[in-house]
Amino acid sequence: MYGWFGKGLKINLSNKTIKEFKIEKDILLNFVGGRGLAAKIFWESVNPKIDAFSNENILVFAVGPLTATSIPTTGRFTLASKSPLTGGFFYSSCGGLFGASLKKAGYDVLIVENRAENPVYIQIDNGDVKVKDASSFWGKTTKETFEQLRGDLGKDFSITCIGPAGENLVRYACVFGGLGNFAGRGGLGAVMGSKNLKAVAVRGDKKVKVANENEILNLMEVFKVRVTWNPILSKALAFFGTSMLLSIINEHEILPTKNFQHGKFDKAEKISAEVLSKIVVGRRSSYACPIACKRVTKTRRMHGEGPEFETLGSLGSMLMVDDVEVVAELNYLCNELGLDTISTGGVIACAMELSEKGIIGEKIRWGDAEKIRELIFNIAYRRNLGSELAEGSKIFAKKYGGEAYAMQVKGVELPMYDPRGVLGQALAYATSNRGGCHLNAYIISVEVLGFPYLMDRFSIVGKPSIVVYLQNLSATIDSMIICKFLGFEFDEKDFAEYLRLVTGEKFTQEHVIMVGERIWNLERLLNLKAGISGEEDKLPDRFNLDIKPMLKEYYRVRGWDDNGIPLKSKLKSLGLADCYA
Amino acid sequence: MPKIPEEVYREIRKYALKLARRGYVTAHGGNISIRSGNIMWITRHASSLENLRFEDIIQVYVDKPSSFDALASTETIVHRKIYLKTPNLAIVHAHPPSTVALTFFYDEIIPLDSEAYYVLKKVPVVEGSPGSENLALNVAEKLKTCYAVAVRAHGVFTAAKYLDIAYQYMCMVEHSSKIILLTEGLKNLGLKFIKPRKF
Repeated sequence: MYGWFGKGLKINLSNKTIKEFKIEKDILLNFVGGRGLAAKIFWESVNPKIDAFSNENILVFAVGPLTATSIPTTGRFTLASKSPLTGGFFYSSCGGLFGASLKKAGYDVLIVENRAENPVYIQIDNGDVKVKDASSFWGKTTKETFEQLRGDLGKDFSITCIGPAGENLVRYACVFGGLGNFAGRGGLGAVMGSKNLKAVAVRGDKKVKVANENEILNLMEVFKVRVTWNPILSKALAFFGTSMLLSIINEHEILPTKNFQHGKFDKAEKISAEVLSKIVVGRRSSYACPIACKRVTKTRRMHGEGPEFETLGSLGSMLMVDDVEVVAELNYLCNELGLDTISTGGVIACAMELSEKGIIGEKIRWGDAEKIRELIFNIAYRRNLGSELAEGSKIFAKKYGGEAYAMQVKGVELPMYDPRGVLGQALAYATSNRGGCHLNAYIISVEVLGFPYLMDRFSIVGKPSIVVYLQNLSATIDSMIICKFLGFEFDEKDFAEYLRLVTGEKFTQEHVIMVGERIWNLERLLNLKAGISGEEDKLPDRFNLDIKPMLKEYYRVRGWDDNGIPLKSKLKSLGLADCYA
Repeated sequence: MPKIPEEVYREIRKYALKLARRGYVTAHGGNISIRSGNIMWITRHASSLENLRFEDIIQVYVDKPSSFDALASTETIVHRKIYLKTPNLAIVHAHPPSTVALTFFYDEIIPLDSEAYYVLKKVPVVEGSPGSENLALNVAEKLKTCYAVAVRAHGVFTAAKYLDIAYQYMCMVEHSSKIILLTEGLKNLGLKFIKPRKF
């Protein structure tokens, strides 16, 4: 096979058994890799009704056929599991070097089962796999763990690890993937923690065989030109990183401010890309990435990775913090403790509003940086109120009867685009298989940025079809795996060509979209079986948006019934007839 | 977005429509900018010049990048370099077909018609990928001494103090290119070319 190794690795942490297994080619052709392969593995091997922290839950680290090839941005990996926030199937895509190293070790997927009795880490050195004691790392931050493991094993090992938040089962704990990258959302760090798995270290030096190396090199010449003429990829992201979005989003009055009470932050300029650039001391790039959107910053007191746009919003405008150095330092803290910055900001914003309204007793004032810092520590270590906040805004707010102030979808805190000013994004949030997520269908590209065309952001005309298209395309992008930013310039026709040249298989643009649609439907079925019905396809009441007309059209376009359940005929057309819920 | 003056939109829209009607741009090609101090207003990336909307005008800085570069034309980098290297205040970029065709055969286009010859003298042809630093440098350097520059296999940049004049230059370049194409065609039919004693 070209592109894939057709081989997986399964590790049982309970009895320390390690097995290699073959992956059938038809599975790879139908689900490609990464997110798609993970969904297929879940469907085959996990009861969707189990609790995310149960022994039966599994963790899947998956790469794709493009991973570690000469095609740019292909160092990513997918981490998938049951989410402690949504209760459904969840995947998170992470950049850095880990994905490329796992692939070069000769594996398309790593499945981790059961729970270790004591803290462990997994060491994969090409085909030599060990489960090792991690007692000395337990309790350490992501940065400490990363540096200590690299010191012990050598710098040619790529490492992914959790921090104290994951160990303490914070429901939105993330996983650090190196070079400022995180599998951020959905609390998969907590699933690692529940298995007593502190880290995975991998080294590989196998070459990934591709079908048409020379044609790929020729294609990359065109790739470079197209990246150059795209102002987002070659100019804005390269110069400012994702923080360039802050001013744009604020000027469109869709920057979540004060827990989504407003869409414009009057002090946004103080946390803008232009101000942030004054503390930027370096750029970071993932494997084979020419864009290098990550930023290293240095405040007067500390230095670290970030903040990116989402964090400037979640720990800035959402909490009414208007000092870019403070936002950066709160970001460093979340990084080291292993917390998803979007959910952390969303949960604290919820607590601030509940406090403001007198619904909870604890005084938490807007913009109080010291209090926010204290809360972040308390969340990660589950101390005092932090222990309740560690459950996520949905559970926390419900306990106090303040559900209206939890700005989440399916339990996941919303990212930094206020849906009231981008109606396609409103639908994309509501229908996302992984809850409050902007990456399942980044329609902001069309509704705000104008790539490839600027649609009327206040209109619902044509939006359900575009959301479906973007969701399907994104699912395939996450399975190949490449960076979603390439979607600003390239589309399914280009991606089909990449797949053809790498695998030698007859991928077409229709195939690319159909693979995505198959994955989307399978994820939907997994969620339905987990008890997440169409009734969860909704937005918080605060937005006062009637999305029902769009939702009805969306279900029709998807080939689902009025309750959001895929019709048998649709599943049959996708080769999923056996999966009917 | 920084507030765009209504009159700026109207002015750019007027000339954008003219370029489109003349067939100098395809559906979403071409771009126009106006400079005012350290800012410029430029058409949005992939906006349609034949139907320019208010939100298709983006304000960015001349002397430094800004977040809004993300929304601005691919050729913002070229416009910026021209403004930094020349005293011009308006730039037009279009893809007039006759001139683009000539760029495959010439390193500079010398107008045959008197008006264009007197005004433009010559139109240098440079190379560079769209949106690249290399293209920006090549175009800006030539516009220090010329009113118009053609880019091989791509289009034409014209610059002036007034948008109307930059537009005039664009029309003049394409008109001259058509005359060259017609003249070469007639020569190929065997007609004798009579060079003017003087214009």
